[in-house]
Parts: sequence; structure tokens; C-alpha cells
Amino acid sequence: MKIIKTVGMLACISLPLMLTASVSADNYPDRPISTIIAFGAGGNTDVGARILFPAVERELGVPLNIINRPGGGGWVGWTQLLNASNNGYTLGYINTPNLITGYMDPQYRRNVNLDDFDLIANHVTDYGVISINKNETRYSNIDELVAYAQSNTLTASTTGANGDDHIAMLKMNHHYDTRFVPVHTTGTAEQRAAIQGGHVDVNFSNVGDTNMAHRSGDLKIIAIMAPERSEFIPDVPTLDELGYPGVISWSARGIAAPKGIDPDSLARLEAAFIAGMQDPEHLAKMAEMGLKVDIRTGEDYRAMLEEEEQGVRSLSDLLGW
Amino acid sequence: MTIDTALLLSVFAQLASPDVLLMLCVGVLGGIFLGALPGLSATMGIALLIPVTFGMQPVAALVLLSAIYAAAVYGGSITAILIHTPGTPASAATAMDGYQMTLRGQGLKALGTSTLCSVIGGMVSVVALLLLAPPLAQISLRFSAPEYFLIAVFGLTIIGSLSSGAMAKGLSAGLLGLLISLVGVDVMTAYPRFTFGVAELENGISLIPAMIGLFSISQVMIQAEKLHNAKLHSSDVPKLEGSLFPSRAEWRKLRGTISRSSIIGVLVGCLPGAGGDVASWVAYNEAKRNAKNPDDFGKGEIEGLAAAETSNNAVTGGAMIPLLTLGIPGSAATAVMLGGLYIHGLQPGHELFTVNAHIVYAIIVGLLLANMLMGIVGLALAKQVVKVASVPFAILAPIIVVLSVVGSYTINNSMFDVYVMTAFGLLGYLMRKTGFSTAAIVLAMILGAMAELGFRQSLVMSKGNLLGYYFDRPFSLLIMGLILLALLSPLLLRWKRKRALRVLQSS
Repeated sequence: MKIIKTVGMLACISLPLMLTASVSADNYPDRPISTIIAFGAGGNTDVGARILFPAVERELGVPLNIINRPGGGGWVGWTQLLNASNNGYTLGYINTPNLITGYMDPQYRRNVNLDDFDLIANHVTDYGVISINKNETRYSNIDELVAYAQSNTLTASTTGANGDDHIAMLKMNHHYDTRFVPVHTTGTAEQRAAIQGGHVDVNFSNVGDTNMAHRSGDLKIIAIMAPERSEFIPDVPTLDELGYPGVISWSARGIAAPKGIDPDSLARLEAAFIAGMQDPEHLAKMAEMGLKVDIRTGEDYRAMLEEEEQGVRSLSDLLGW
Repeated sequence: MTIDTALLLSVFAQLASPDVLLMLCVGVLGGIFLGALPGLSATMGIALLIPVTFGMQPVAALVLLSAIYAAAVYGGSITAILIHTPGTPASAATAMDGYQMTLRGQGLKALGTSTLCSVIGGMVSVVALLLLAPPLAQISLRFSAPEYFLIAVFGLTIIGSLSSGAMAKGLSAGLLGLLISLVGVDVMTAYPRFTFGVAELENGISLIPAMIGLFSISQVMIQAEKLHNAKLHSSDVPKLEGSLFPSRAEWRKLRGTISRSSIIGVLVGCLPGAGGDVASWVAYNEAKRNAKNPDDFGKGEIEGLAAAETSNNAVTGGAMIPLLTLGIPGSAATAVMLGGLYIHGLQPGHELFTVNAHIVYAIIVGLLLANMLMGIVGLALAKQVVKVASVPFAILAPIIVVLSVVGSYTINNSMFDVYVMTAFGLLGYLMRKTGFSTAAIVLAMILGAMAELGFRQSLVMSKGNLLGYYFDRPFSLLIMGLILLALLSPLLLRWKRKRALRVLQSS
């Protein structure tokens, strides 16, 4: 008994020592990596990660363990990520615009910005779309909708205050004097029911959660708020094409680490995630879900997030900040 | 309706394949286990299994996922009945009468009734899914914010009667619950209410840890106190005699309740904004209102148990109706299943029932089989499982506490939730010692958030004409009528009784 105890105690003491000793970039990674997902199991971010990770694990040679930490619109998980060690064994998904509105909104007094993260790679960019009920008679295209909304108050469903749908709606009001008022819902299911049941006048959502309903005729997408058309709904023109420039909307999610990770480890992670994201099976599954894999790393990824920051800043009056 | 023989044959051929049958068994057993343990949920199980199903045939994969869903809702009742620890929020109403039956030595009968009712509710909902999916999906689309607000208010009418006899105590417990449901980010303005800078509070107080504290921890404390005071030992354990099945007289009494609760479950299940937790309370309320002996509810009335268990399983098939026909999930677990459908290249909607009919009908019939299997397993295991109630409390108590801690932590991988559970455990103990209803708090937490969201959304949707908006909607009017009926019927009954008494006296 005594011997077992001693051996056990030695193991308990020496194991963490061994682990700390091995944190050098040469053999990184040599043990499982934790990945914090700031949303619940089964959400879009979570499912996307579970599709991607097997391919990345093959590249890295160690498991990527998912830790779901939902709450606070993502901020419970992101706070944990920011407080984690930057030894490369804790990563996390960051989601825009919630991350950015979350630290820019003065109501929350958060002392965080993009510099607190080391960005690894963007995974998915899901552009915004404007859709209407399939039996809508007051307007059938964007010109008629904008004209109608300039003289009438119209209710618009979104997936939450300060989310991408809400910001897109405010951008429309800002640029084109429309009078959309937001009806914030708690998620895609409720939002879809609201527009398909005709309880709201117009719906601001994303390609990922609306493209199938559009293809099956359950609702009608009249414009995509993206620089170019989407492969999932090629028949839908962009707002820019239709003569309404200046309103681009997306929600994006990618992988980041707490600031200060070893540069060699960062390069190793970046390479593994790029390779994993290019895996054909991953790409096929994401396409089935209507999600656009949009691989961006380094400065490219950072520029995208800074553009989002800039866009939110220009709306701070409308958001009441 | 013409029956397509080729389709029928194809459905049975697919279901008879060994991997589908294996997944059916795995799903049912795994689901019961997930459901019975507080903190582990069907939603979580399905989310974790979706990547595992990549390599499977679509039918095997979706039969697995839907079997887990149905069985987990049933599994939640087992621990609710035996140890007053609801495995899921949908089983909170089950604990009310189920545990009282166990204390009276009728644990076996409570388990048997719960199993049978779950199977009946589940089967009714699958039949509705099979035959009535398109019209029910259309009805579900007619429900929006105003109706959700009114359903929540309808459910809240039960609060007054939850502390038997002490209306004021019931109402104040309900108000406390409503107050708790205010914590968290305001959905319409994103303002963090009562969060004190704690990010964990931004999504509100988590329901499951609070419920585990109020039901399980308070129960452990009360039992421990009794044990200490009376110096009782193993003799305090409830007896296990009695039959597994309800008597014929009880069946006759339950018939109405079971049919009513099945319908309530299917309808609530169809609605994307309400699930098993809401359905079980609405059904419980209706059963109580229609019962000859409403005062027995909460004291081990078999009808209360039957209402809750029938309706929460009837939600499962109901929730799949908008999922399969519209791609709009009717509950959290089916929202996760939607991803599973997409990944297997199955697009919800008309096409699913035409081009992919052989797959979707195989899944639906598979769910029917899962419900049957769930019943067989449940009844077969009942005699063994019920022994949990006869384990000496000194052994059982630490196990319940450990399960409560682990369960609270697992929901969000959060230590904060364990503190929430502990705080609510203390609150629950104090409330029960002073005769306040802990169920009223749970009910108000479930419905308070739903009522607030619905009302706030409908304020915007009505564009300034709130009353006109509510009175212009047929379902909104219908539910308002039901609320009035629920509020006035006890008064009317009392008035009638008084008049009868007066007539009797004067004659």
C-alpha cells in the first residue's frame, strides 16, 4: 500500500514538472490542446469545429479537446481564453461581431481589444442576407422594399441586439433612410418562424441559416450583403450590384490564442489549421451545411477584423454608445 | 390515404438492417442513461455524437439521434421519481407527485406509470408526425411572440395553487422566480441586468443548476435532518411492494389525462419557442384543473405524474414536425439534429417527404420502434431500478450530492454553476422548511423569461397598437380565453358550491 502511495505521489509531483519542461517549440505540440468554444455543444460554431478538428488533429498529431463555455454572448469563453496560459495548449474560437461589439460596447466596460489575441486562422465567413415572406405582396425586390421602408416603419427580425443582423439593419437605416425597427430573437429557429409565419415584415439573417429555405421556396432572399454572390444562392444579387453600396455584413469565426504564444508554435498551428481546412471531407460537409469556408491568416485575418471594428465604430451613434 | 407498398417495403428493409437495429438499442439505452443523470442532456449527447455519425448510413445515424432524444426525456423521470432529482427540466413536474408516490411505497407503480405514459405520449406524437405533419407545421407558424407571451402567462396561472392552501406563499415564491429570471442581458437592448460585472450571469441564472439545487440538494438536507433528529436508520426506507402497473380503476381515471396531455405535448412540441419543460407544466395544470381531487396534486397523485410524463414525451415527435417539414427545430435537441440532417445531405421540407421519402419514413418508423423499445427496457428494468429508493439514505445522500455537483458543472463546464446550485440548494431548504413551494420558482424561471421575451417582441411587432394586435390574432384570442377560464373556474366552482350549500341549509 505504502509503495503504491509513494509512487502515486511521485507521479503527481513529477508529471506537471515533466509537462512544463517539455514546453519548447521544437516538439510542440506533444500533448492534447484544449480549444474553448464560447457557444454550446451543437451550435453552428461547435458543429463546424467538430467537423474540422479531425483533419487538424491528423496534422498536429495530438488531440484537440473541445471545451464548450457558453454564456454572455460568447464572453464567458473569451474571458477564459484571455486568462489562459499562452503556452499554446489553450486555443479558442473567436466570433465576430460579438467579440468586437462586446469590447466596444461601453455598457460592459471591458478592457480588451484585438491586440490581446494572437490570431491563427479564420475558418468560416457567413455573409448576411435580407429575406421576405414568400407570399409578401407589398414589395418583391430590394428597390420596392427600400422605397416602402422609407415611408413606413417595418419590423425586422435579427438574432440578437448588437449582432451582425442588427448592425446590418442599422447600416441600411443609416445609408438609405429606411425605417427598420429590430425584433431581436434568441436564435435562428425563432427568427425563421417569425418571417415564415409573416409575423415580421423583413428578416436580416445569414446565408448559412437561410439558404436552404430559400432554395425550397419557404422564404425569399432578395439580396446578399456581400462583396460577391454566394455559391449556395447564386441567383441572389448583391446589394452593391443592385445599386445599394456600403452595406456589407458578415459573421466570421476563427481560431485564436491568448497573446504572446511562441512564434514557432504559432506558425506550426497556422500551417496545421490551413491544411485541415483544405481537407476535402471537411469542405464537403461544410458545403452541405451552407457554410463558406474562408481561410485567412496573419495580416489578412487581422485586416478583416479591423474592418469590422471600423464598421461598428461608424455606427456607435446608432447603437447608442 | 394510399399506402405505397414499395415505400413500405423499403422502410422495413432499411430498419431491419443490423446497424440500424444496433443504433436503435444504443440510442435507447444511452438516452435513458443521459436523461437520468442530472446535467447530462439529450442535446449534449446528440451534439457529441454527430461527428461519430459521419461514417454511418443516414437512417442509422438519425435513428440513433432521435432515439437518444426520446429516451433521454423519459430517462429524466426515473431519478425525479426515485430520488427527487429531475434529470432534465422537463421532469421537474414529474418529481412533484412521482417522489411522493415513492415515499408512500408506490415507487414501482410510479415508474411503471411513467414508463407507460411516456411510451403512449411518444407514440401519439410519432403518429402525429407521420400523419399530420404538414397541417401542424402550418399551425406552428401561426404562433409568434404574442402567443408565446400568453402561453407563458397561462402556465403561470398554476403558481397560485402550487403551495397547497397557502396562496400568498405560492405567489411570493413565483414572484421570486420571476425576479430571478430578470438576471442577464436584456434581449432587446443588450443591457446587462443585475450581472454585477460577472460574465457568467449574462445569460441569466442557469436553470438546470438552480433546479438541481432547489429539488435535489434541498431534499438531501431535509432527509439528513430527519435522520439526525429521529436517529432513524435503514428502517426509514420506503417499502418496495406494490404492483408495477396502475390498477384498472386508476387506468380509467388516467384515460382523460393521458389523451389531453398527449395533445398538449404534441402542440407545444411543434412550437419552436417552447419545449418539454413548458409542456409538462401546462399539462400538469390542466390535469389538476380537470381533476375531481385537485387537492391531492403534489401529494402523490398518479394523475399529476401521468400528465407530466405523457406530455413531455409527446413533445419529442411534435418537435420533429417543424424540423422535418420546415427546417425549423421545435426544441434545443432538434436544433442540434438539424445539423445532423444537413451533414447527411437531407434537406428538410417538401423534398424530404418526396425524393427522400424512403429515408424520412424509415427515421419516423424508427422513432416509433425506439419508443416501444424504451417501454420494454423501462418496464424490464423498473424492478431493479426501484431498489435505488431502498438504498440507505446515508449511502444515497453523498451519491446524490456528487451527481448534483458533477451535473451542474457539466452543463456549461462552469464552476460558477456549481456555486449557483449550492446557493439554490440552501434557498430550497429554507423555503421548504417554511412552506414555500420550490416548484413555483422553477416554473417562474422557465416561463418568466419566455413571457418577457414574447411581450417585448410583440411590443415592437404591434407598431404601437398593442391591444389591436393581440385581439386581431385568432390563437392569441383562444389562449386569452383559456387564461380567463383557468382564473375564473375556481371562483365559479366556489360560488356554485356556496349556493348549493345555502340551498341545502334553507331547505
